[in-house]
Amino acid sequence: MKASTRRNLGLAVIPLLIATMFLQAAIDPSVREINKGQKTAFQGLSGEFVLGPLLGLQQAVAGLLWVRADEFFHSGDYDAILPIVRMVTWLDPHQLDVYITGAWHLAYNFTDSSERSDRRYIPASQRLLEEGDANNPEIYDIAFELGWQNSDKIKDFARAEYWYRKASGRHGADERGQAKAPVPMFVWHQLAHSLARLGRLEESVDVWKKALSMSEDFVKKNPTDFSRRNVRDSEVHNLELTQKRIFSRYKHELDWEVDAKVGKGVNRETGEPLSRDTYVFVTGSEVSQKAAAYAKAGLSAPAMAVGLPRPPAIEPMWNTAFDVRPVFTAPKVLEVKGRFNVGDGARVTVRLHDDTYRNAQLKEFSFDINQDQTLMLDQHSVRAGTFGRKVDMSKDPKMYSFKGDTYYLVFEFNPRATSPFIHDRFGWSGEGMTDPKYLWTDSSLQPDVRWVRKVYRITRDQVFGASIPESAVVSNEEYARMMAEPMTTK
Amino acid sequence: MVTLAIAKQTLEDMLRRKILLVLLIIAVGMIALGPSVGFLSPRESSAVLRSLGLAVILLAGLLITILSGIQVIPTEIERRTIYTVLSKPVQRYEFVLGKFLGGIFTVFVMIAAMGVVFLSVLAWQEKRFDPEMLKGVVLTFFQMTLLGALAIFFSTFATPVVNFFLSFGLFIVGNLSSVTDSLISNKNPATRIMANAVHYIIPNFGNFNLQNKLIHPSVEISNANVFIVQNIVYAVIYSAVLLLLAILVFDKREV
Repeated sequence: MKASTRRNLGLAVIPLLIATMFLQAAIDPSVREINKGQKTAFQGLSGEFVLGPLLGLQQAVAGLLWVRADEFFHSGDYDAILPIVRMVTWLDPHQLDVYITGAWHLAYNFTDSSERSDRRYIPASQRLLEEGDANNPEIYDIAFELGWQNSDKIKDFARAEYWYRKASGRHGADERGQAKAPVPMFVWHQLAHSLARLGRLEESVDVWKKALSMSEDFVKKNPTDFSRRNVRDSEVHNLELTQKRIFSRYKHELDWEVDAKVGKGVNRETGEPLSRDTYVFVTGSEVSQKAAAYAKAGLSAPAMAVGLPRPPAIEPMWNTAFDVRPVFTAPKVLEVKGRFNVGDGARVTVRLHDDTYRNAQLKEFSFDINQDQTLMLDQHSVRAGTFGRKVDMSKDPKMYSFKGDTYYLVFEFNPRATSPFIHDRFGWSGEGMTDPKYLWTDSSLQPDVRWVRKVYRITRDQVFGASIPESAVVSNEEYARMMAEPMTTK
Repeated sequence: MVTLAIAKQTLEDMLRRKILLVLLIIAVGMIALGPSVGFLSPRESSAVLRSLGLAVILLAGLLITILSGIQVIPTEIERRTIYTVLSKPVQRYEFVLGKFLGGIFTVFVMIAAMGVVFLSVLAWQEKRFDPEMLKGVVLTFFQMTLLGALAIFFSTFATPVVNFFLSFGLFIVGNLSSVTDSLISNKNPATRIMANAVHYIIPNFGNFNLQNKLIHPSVEISNANVFIVQNIVYAVIYSAVLLLLAILVFDKREV
């Protein structure tokens, strides 16, 4: 080759190399979009899995790791799954099911010997989901899961409503590549349920109407989609049921048994049964019962007669006569005996925690929890006006280390978290209940919600067997104020 | 014409090599076994099937490209057949280009075979043909084109063993583009300079990784088609640079 040709070829390399640099700069933004949320190729990976990401095979390694996690799941080795969840979500931040499954393990599957969840992991579970949602901000799945966890596990219906609403504004993605599919209707249904739990009944009804309208439009266009027709029918049922409940609890009590037998329709705007005789008294004895309830509450009964609408179900106010006595019969063994004048099946929450414990908001996801912290939560069902059982925390020192000096022992009933048949008596926000000693009205979220709650501030010695005097009871206001303070660490 | 004749001869020679055929058979077998992950949920199963299929194509393509790229020129020198070729009216650049094209044709045939199997398995499993996945296969081919040019460049002056480690090592470094990209904004000036050098000068193989987008349809980039074209142009220009350098080095080499 001639020297001049060689020189020219050599010179040609320079502009070509510069061109590749400009191209690289143009390509980089797209690569960043593709890899959003993905950690560096080998962060936190064990040696056997490092080579794959080095070759650009993060997703394949993530897939194989998840296959391995599935094996651990089937063998019951839950502890082994969590580190894999962390690695998979680092390698492939779009594996929605991995975030959801990992968060479920954290929130539900770490339990003590009596199957009570270790709730110290819940902030970590929430943070993992929040991280996943931030990495997949267009998809509904993880936001829905956050809503479900807040609703089902944490009973924080305001947070649940926040996440369900976010989820309802997103779109679906499935394995068939339908990236822009509308969210499933159950997202709207859960939003409506969470609003009802919050006592925001009109908004709940509006969501049911909106969901029904969407389904009716869909069914008109796809009349042979029987699955969606079932969904539409369930929306009709839920809309009418919610309206009927509002009507019965706050306007005129319905006779549900008669109504069910007659099976009449309902006015979807007012909740009033279409046949008026379904909500009027059918026998004179029912009038007597209602009048007796007013008399018991020290009130004069409104004018009632057979054939007239009866007063709303939440009237007259029901005295729950709540009280409870806790005794530590042995170190870390709590015996609860309480009375609660509500229907069978209502549940009283028993919670014991360090006085420094607060609901943590983690900035970064971490599996590490404060092992020195104690947090126990149990639910006791009411039977024939009483509740209580033994809560043995002595067998699980890792969960219940009791290293602190003072604790709060809380017994509470949240009307918003209870069952519909209890709501039938008390309303969604406890409007129909009262208690001379332990009623506490929480006005932080509107409408107000009326709790029944008794709180003891106890010492470590008392957890280990010393008696707990009634002077250890603290006011609900003090406890609420204390819980609103930021977390302090020892 | 001479270049194409050399390329054709190289392709025929490569397709006769048992090691490459064995690699192809293993890869096809692994892709065909992909649906065995069906015990996961449908969404996870699909993600694993897609990611594994693309990974197998990449891994097999990588081995095929490096094994063919590192050997084409040194083998000719070792067997002394190069003297016969160069004693004819064949320019050295034609020889280098012919060898490169022959190697790339080989890689194309292999990746195409794996791609057909992969897309068929996916279509069978998901009951529909997903043309998007073709983009992943195409980008893998151009990634291998760039790697092939790199291997040819090294083969003009390095032994096959040294070439193997050089090509493989640069492939790994070039795959860390997300790392070097993040280091470009590092506070330490020395780190910044080093990251810029690595990011803009070393062939950036990480560019070609479209897997996140292909596996998770929800991942969106501003313009996927422009991104693909940019990468193809990048591969072509960078390969041209490497081939020019290979021609210049080989021209000076005494054989």
